[in-house]
Amino acid sequence: MPDAGPAAVPAPLLRVLGLSKIFGDIPVVDRVTLEVATGEIVMVIGPSGAGKSTMLRCINRIETPSEGEIWVAGVNMAGELRDGRLVPDARAVTARKRRLTGMVFQRFNLFTHLSALDNVAIGPRRVLGMPAAAARALALEHLDRMKLSAHVDKRPIQLSGGQQQRVAIARALAMSPQLMLFDEPTSALDPELVGEVLEAIRGLARDGLTMIVVTHEMQFAREVGTRVVFMDGGRIVEDRPSADFFATPRHERAREFLRRIHGGAAPALTAAGPPPG
Amino acid sequence: MNAFDWGAIWYAVPYMLQGAVVTLEISILAMVFGTVIGIVCGLVSVSRVGPLRWLVRVYVYFVRGTPALVQLFLVYFALPEIGIYVSAFWGGVIALSFNAGGFIAEIVRAAIGSIEPGQTEAALSIGMTDRQGLLLILLPQSLRQMAPPLTNELITLVKGSSLLSAISIAELTRSAQMIIAERFTPFEIYAALAVFYLIMISALARASEYVEKRLA
Repeated sequence: MPDAGPAAVPAPLLRVLGLSKIFGDIPVVDRVTLEVATGEIVMVIGPSGAGKSTMLRCINRIETPSEGEIWVAGVNMAGELRDGRLVPDARAVTARKRRLTGMVFQRFNLFTHLSALDNVAIGPRRVLGMPAAAARALALEHLDRMKLSAHVDKRPIQLSGGQQQRVAIARALAMSPQLMLFDEPTSALDPELVGEVLEAIRGLARDGLTMIVVTHEMQFAREVGTRVVFMDGGRIVEDRPSADFFATPRHERAREFLRRIHGGAAPALTAAGPPPG
Repeated sequence: MNAFDWGAIWYAVPYMLQGAVVTLEISILAMVFGTVIGIVCGLVSVSRVGPLRWLVRVYVYFVRGTPALVQLFLVYFALPEIGIYVSAFWGGVIALSFNAGGFIAEIVRAAIGSIEPGQTEAALSIGMTDRQGLLLILLPQSLRQMAPPLTNELITLVKGSSLLSAISIAELTRSAQMIIAERFTPFEIYAALAVFYLIMISALARASEYVEKRLA
């Protein structure tokens, strides 16, 4: 990590300060503050409409935050400070900064006109400017890591959902991001395909990749996460080590959520929080 | 009514073939230029370059809102006013390209707009700029959607080339009119004229069917 910046204190890899995203007049993300250190695996859970995905999409600026600051690896994702004022980045600069992060989407979003190999190679080739042969070799390496060597020449439409999502992971990894963002990576999958994708993410966790994973897979969150962030109504309600959270969730809304997720028939008597966004 | 005058048709065919060649030349040139103009303007209209987008909108508004014949007269008679002199042939090519370009721009815009936003998001997520996303991801994917309406537009263009008879270009329709003026057999010659256009447009439709299959 050569670019830790001039700071003497080890800065967190990700720092989110007072982030809000307001659609219309609804704050979907509401003054969220979060720090993630290198090597952490943060599981973001919570009911739908809690702002989990929107927060993730603000981090790499696929969504433009309404308020707040986001720093990744010491880089202000919004712009540069000049004379104490924030000068917003041109979109091309944002594109460059975005390379610090990788993202995996709920619906895979593979490029439909390209083979699995080209889906992974196009970033290194066109964005990083690698020679074609090197980009291809790199792509093959990442596809192999995702156990997809037999499928490199197939189009997305010829692949199962689980295979598509693993291509998408390879595509993100091929850009060597410092922080990986997973936006409900298994929510669009048939139940029997969930396991292979979770297994792939587990492998990345073992390799020490820093990740934020929005997920509804509680078992996975408990086992793989080092930390759990529970969100509701656009806010972070709990932010604790994974084991602690699942053993003794502090807030009623978190307890209620876990009860419902675990198939408990708990009626929504106490679920009178703010309406989901 | 008189009997059908086959003699007039045999007389006319060689002249009309010459006219058909001119029609083809003009149509093919205008297809190429119109498609290039249309793709560039279509890309601009889905880009984030505000002032250019506004210009394209004005252009499309004008092309859609005025008759092709009026556009042709404007190009042919107005260009010399501002010191640009072109032959009737090239005036015709320019007018038809200008017209087709506006419609093709809309076809391109609609096709690109129909692509799922997740594709753009994925392109951005791996660090692509807006332009890279547009050219490397969205444009290639939209070609298939573009093919059928583009075919329609090119057919319209070939038929629209008959308007060039109004500025004395010896294309197909004009050559037919000249024969009618000479032989006074309008029914026979216009019937032959229709057949000529049908043949050319059938060939064009076949060709684009082939391209569509290749893109599928």
